[in-house]
Amino acid sequence: MTLILQAVLLIGLIGITIAIIFGRDLMTSVVIYCAFSFLTMLLYNIMGAPDVAFTEAVIGVISTVFFIIILRSIDRKTK
Amino acid sequence: MRRAITIILLIVSITVPFIAFDVLPVIGDPESAPNTHVSDYYIEHAIEECNSPNMVTAVIVDYRAFDTMFETTVMFLAGLSVVIILANRPKSRIPAPESLKRLRDTSGRPVYTTINKDVMISIIEPVILIYAMYVLFHGEISLGGGFQAGALIGMTYLLDIMVVGRKRPIFNLPKEKSAALAGIGPFIYALTGFVSMIGGGLYLEYNKMPVPVHQAELHSLGITAVEIGVTIGVAGTIITILNALTERISFDDDNN
Amino acid sequence: MMTTINAFLAAKGLYLLTLLLLSLGVAGVIVCNNYMKKLICMNVMQVAVIFFFLCLGQKDPGTIPVAMNEAVKAAEYINPLPHGLMLTAIVVSLGTTGVGLSLLLRIREKYGTIEEDDLLKKQAQQARRDKKRRELHHPGDSE
Repeated sequence: MTLILQAVLLIGLIGITIAIIFGRDLMTSVVIYCAFSFLTMLLYNIMGAPDVAFTEAVIGVISTVFFIIILRSIDRKTK
Repeated sequence: MRRAITIILLIVSITVPFIAFDVLPVIGDPESAPNTHVSDYYIEHAIEECNSPNMVTAVIVDYRAFDTMFETTVMFLAGLSVVIILANRPKSRIPAPESLKRLRDTSGRPVYTTINKDVMISIIEPVILIYAMYVLFHGEISLGGGFQAGALIGMTYLLDIMVVGRKRPIFNLPKEKSAALAGIGPFIYALTGFVSMIGGGLYLEYNKMPVPVHQAELHSLGITAVEIGVTIGVAGTIITILNALTERISFDDDNN
Repeated sequence: MMTTINAFLAAKGLYLLTLLLLSLGVAGVIVCNNYMKKLICMNVMQVAVIFFFLCLGQKDPGTIPVAMNEAVKAAEYINPLPHGLMLTAIVVSLGTTGVGLSLLLRIREKYGTIEEDDLLKKQAQQARRDKKRRELHHPGDSE
């Protein structure tokens, strides 16, 4: 049962990666990266690694804020 | 068209060699190669030798403590290289965007007068710091450890910068001094190793530290001292990177 | 039908999805023109590698690696060794992202853009201008 849940979450992660590569605005990519981090935290919880999930939850927030700080100094349009 | 061909070629060349042949073990097999050789010993002897029911902490800070020392050093070196790369003086600080300048009130009052800036921050931040201390000292009994506690302290500083601004944060240090503070972490870690050599044992062997307590308590003492070093290293690096980035990019919309 | 799906996933299915995610991350680093998207795709690659390591340490009737009572038997707990290695890997990736972003700031200050096409064009322009200036000041020098 847990294997099917893990497979479903992995398919969601693959879809999110495709949205990151083909996005037109950089703010889109950064916000979707925050959702990516949250989904990987759920995945680590289901697999039975709560230590790793705790660390990923905290580090994902800090990493996303690093990207948003940089985003204020560059132009956001990209093709 | 060229991008699509590149993506498809990469997908095929990475997935096919692993899947077409039976080289990877079946998931969930208790007799596969990673699960048999030395992990059984770590699982069965974690409580009686290291005095910690959390097996992951026992592995990274007691059985493989030499590895973790160099990981902490790598964190400190990352903070140091950010200070070195951004060491030049910028020509001008990148200002706030134009759409927010129009909203600014010229009488000197800040635009956003919410309750968060004055009251709620002084209530929330001590709670987060106490939780970080709890996670640090309970790393052996339940989930937690040094890395999580250091990241939580870094997150407190991040919250403070975002809400109050750069004029009066909690730790008011320029980026060089906070890099020096981050260097104290690996130093404490290496010092614990030398203390056990004074008692006559090998490097980082907690059994032979010359501290007059009971035999089972020596491991807990060694683990706690080492995790304090890890916490200071990680928290210092996060504060250093944040200071280095916000010296050039103004993140506060009022005091510009 | 559920048991056949479980058996397929345990033998090859999960590995296939993990390697697909890894190859999409590598493709993102190669194909994207913007430097910030390359950094984000590097983090995607790292998640795939960590998931692969955690897959290798699973045991079928196992629980999380925190000892519940005094008598422990090795078959009841998940392998704690990959968890320890991946914990430090996640924290070190934060430092790597910080170094990458500071390099991005320096590139932006020097060239004014972070798209790769415009960057290469500006570098070619500057190289041509330097070559012309050197030929003007020292005519007849052989390189």
